[in-house]
Amino acid sequence: MSAYSRAYSGLRVGCIMTAVLPCLLAVNAAPGPAPAATPPCEACHGAHGEGMAAAHVPRLAGQSADYLQKQLDDYAQGTRDNPIMKNFAKELSGQQRAKFAARYASMSAPYIAQSALSAASLARGHQLAYQGDETKRVQACNGCHGPDGIGVALAAPYLAGQSAEYLASALTAFRQGTRKNDAGELMRSVAKRLDDVDVEAVSGYFGSLEPSTH
Amino acid sequence: MVQRLKEVDVVVIGVGMVGSIVAKELAAAGYTVVGLERGPARFTVPQFQSPAVHDELRFSVRKALMQDSTRETVTFRNLDSQVALPIRRWESFLPGTGLGGSMVHWNGQTYRFQANDFKLATGTRERYGRNFLDPEVTIQDWGVTYDDLEPHYDRFEYLLGTSGKAGNIKSRIQAGGDPHESPRSREYPTPPQKELFQGALFRKAATSLGYHAFPQPSSNLSQPYTNPEGMKLNTCVFCGFCERHACEHYAKSAPQTIILPVLLANPNFELRTGCQVQRINLDSTKKRATGVTYIDAVGREYEQPASLVITSAFALNNVRMLLLSGIGAPYDPATGQGVVGRNYSYQTISSVAAFFDEDVVINPFMASGASGTVINDFAGDNFDHSGLGFIGGAYIGAVNPHGRPILYHPTPPGTSAWGKGWKQAVVKHYNHTVMLSIHGSSVTQRQNHLDLDPTYRDAWGQPLLRMTFDFPRNDLKMAVHVTAKAAEIGKAMGAKQVAANPRKGPYTITQYQSTHNTGGAVMGDSPKNSVVNRYLQSWDVPNVFVIGASAYPQNASWNPTGTLGALTYWAIDALTNKYLKNPGQLVPA
Repeated sequence: MSAYSRAYSGLRVGCIMTAVLPCLLAVNAAPGPAPAATPPCEACHGAHGEGMAAAHVPRLAGQSADYLQKQLDDYAQGTRDNPIMKNFAKELSGQQRAKFAARYASMSAPYIAQSALSAASLARGHQLAYQGDETKRVQACNGCHGPDGIGVALAAPYLAGQSAEYLASALTAFRQGTRKNDAGELMRSVAKRLDDVDVEAVSGYFGSLEPSTH
Repeated sequence: MVQRLKEVDVVVIGVGMVGSIVAKELAAAGYTVVGLERGPARFTVPQFQSPAVHDELRFSVRKALMQDSTRETVTFRNLDSQVALPIRRWESFLPGTGLGGSMVHWNGQTYRFQANDFKLATGTRERYGRNFLDPEVTIQDWGVTYDDLEPHYDRFEYLLGTSGKAGNIKSRIQAGGDPHESPRSREYPTPPQKELFQGALFRKAATSLGYHAFPQPSSNLSQPYTNPEGMKLNTCVFCGFCERHACEHYAKSAPQTIILPVLLANPNFELRTGCQVQRINLDSTKKRATGVTYIDAVGREYEQPASLVITSAFALNNVRMLLLSGIGAPYDPATGQGVVGRNYSYQTISSVAAFFDEDVVINPFMASGASGTVINDFAGDNFDHSGLGFIGGAYIGAVNPHGRPILYHPTPPGTSAWGKGWKQAVVKHYNHTVMLSIHGSSVTQRQNHLDLDPTYRDAWGQPLLRMTFDFPRNDLKMAVHVTAKAAEIGKAMGAKQVAANPRKGPYTITQYQSTHNTGGAVMGDSPKNSVVNRYLQSWDVPNVFVIGASAYPQNASWNPTGTLGALTYWAIDALTNKYLKNPGQLVPA
C-alpha cells in the first residue's frame, strides 16, 4: 500500500464520520420530505466507491451492477434490513436505483490495505476460500464468488478487497438469519456452519486481497 | 499368498448408492460390515470443488469419474453371430467408479415407476391379449408390487430430499403434479425446482394439446433440506454441471451428501477403497458363500470371510460378479436355459430439436440435471396401444440438463459437420434451441443378454463381461410413435424448425444414450426365470443378496434410480426383519 493511499484513506474516514451522522439524523427525524435527487452515498461509500472499512461500510467500486441493484431493491422493499440504507433506498425510484448501481459498478477506487491477519487465520481463510471444509460441509467460497473472490456476474459479489469488517458483519447477519435476501438461502446455509474463528479468518483473508482490476 | 482376514458379519461389494445405504442400515443394526470399493475415496471437499470440477474436457469428454476402461471394460456386439470387441472409451453408457459410485455423476432425476410396470407381462396380456407381443419379447412381472414398494420409495425420496410436486396423494389427484402417477403416501419432501423458460414454453404447448405437464422430480434441491439421517443439503444453483460431474455445493443428493458421513462414523463399518473383488467364495456345497476374495491397490490378495455378502456394484458388474463366482446358471440364448445374464435391457432415448427465432432466448447453460418440465401422457401404458404393435412408451420433456460448450451445440439438419458453416450454425442456434427428450422404455428379448467374454480379460486376468444387445423392434416402433408426438409439441411451442430424431437401430456404443443399463440378474417369483427372489436374495446361494438395477426384469419409461432406491430399502427391510433373524431362503423355490 502506498503512503498516498494510506493518507487518503485516513482522511476520508475522518470526513465521512462527521458527514454521515447529521445526514442520518436528518433522515430519521424527518421521513416525509421530498427525495433528494442524489442521496449522499459518497458520505459513507466514498467519492470513488472505496467504502469505509472501519465503519463496516462496504466498498462498492466495480461491484456487479446486478448485485448492487438487487441490494438497493431489497432495501427499498424491506427484504434486506439496514436502518440507514433502507431509508435512502425507499426514496429512490426503481430507475434511480438502477442508475446508482450502474454508477458504482463503473467506478474504480484504490485498494485500502486492511489490518494484518495472523498467519494461522490467513491460512484458514485461504482454505475456506479455495477448498472449503468437509468436516463442516462448507464448500469453497470461490466456487460461486469466482477465482480469488473476484465476483461472478450476475449474482455473486466480489469479495477480494472488500472491507473485512463489512464481510464479517455480513456473514454474521447471514449466520444469525437477520439477513435473508440470499437466493435459495445459499449464504445462510454456509454461514450457519461457520464459527467466529472462521468468520474472522475468511473475512480477513478476502480483505487482504487486492481487488480485481478486470 | 492370500491373506485371510478376520471374519465379519457382512461384506458389501461396491460402496455406491446401494452399498452406502445397505451398509449404513446393517451397521446401525449392530452388524460388523466391511465395504469394498474398487475406486478411490472422494468427498465434496476437496475432490468436487470448482473450478476443477467444471472442467468439461476432463469430466464430460474424458470421463474422469468413470470406470477405468484400460483396466476393466465390457465387450460389445449387436448379435450373437458377431465377435464382441472391448469398449475402449465409454460413450453410450457411463459406469462410474469410486466412493459414491455412479450416483456422484447422475442428473438427479428421481422418478417412480407406475403400478402397472411391476405387472407388465400380466397387464399386457390382460389388456391387449395373449398374442399382442413379438414372440422374441421376454418381459415378465417383477414379483413385487407398487404397493409393496411405496413406503420404500417414500423413504428413499425423503433420504434424498427430492424436489417435486405430487400428482396423486392417496388416490387424490393433485393439481400441478403428474395425474398418471400411482398413489403416493405424501407430498415430496421439497417443492419443485424453479421452472426454466424452455420448460414454460413446453408446458404451455403441451397444455394446449391437452397433455398434463408437471415439474420433473429433482434431487438437485430447490431449498435447504435436512434428511432423516441428519444430513443437511443446500439449494441447487443451476450451474449446469450435474451429469458426468460431481456437485460442489452439497446440493445434489449423492452418498457423500445424504448418508456416507453417517455410515463412516459408525465403528461397526470399515471402508476399504482400491479393492477389486475377484469373486464371491462358495463352500463345497456351492449353496453357501463364505466371503469374498479381493486384490488391493498394490496387488496384495485377501480373503475376507463374511456370513452375508451384498453385491451392490453397478448393474453390469453385479451380473459379472455372479458369473465370475459361479452363482446361478448362466443364460444361454440358443436354448433359453439359465438365468444369469438373461433379460438385459436398456433405455430407448430419442430426441426432438426445436429451433427458434433469435428473439427467443433459451439460456441452456442455466439448468440443473433435473429441472425439466415433462409429460407422462405417452409413457408406459398411459395410452391405448391397441393396433400400434408395441408396448411401452416414453416421457417427453424439455429436460436439457446443460449447455456446456464442448458437447452442447445443436444445429439443424443439413448443417455442415465441420468448418465455417458449422461454426456459424452453432453461434446462431446455441441460445435459441430446445432439445426435447423422449425417454423410453425397453423390453427384453431372447437374444439380448450378458455373459463372460471368451477372449478378453481385465487387468487382474478375469474375463470381461460381454454384452449382446440390439434394440428390439418393439422399442423402435415405440420410439417412432412417441417422437412424432414430441415433434408436434415442438411445433406448438412456436419453433420455426423441428427436427425429430427417433431412435434407430442398430444400437451403437459410440454415441451417448443413457447409463440406464438394467437387468441380467433379474428378480421374480421363480428360479426358472429369475436370478434373485422378490427380496433380491439369490435363489442359489441364500446368503448372497444382489441389489441393483440388475434386478429389473425389463426397464420402464423412467430413469431407474428412484425404483432402485425403493428396492434397496425393500431388501433392507427383508434383511433386518426376516433374513438376519433367521438366515435361510426367504422364498421357497
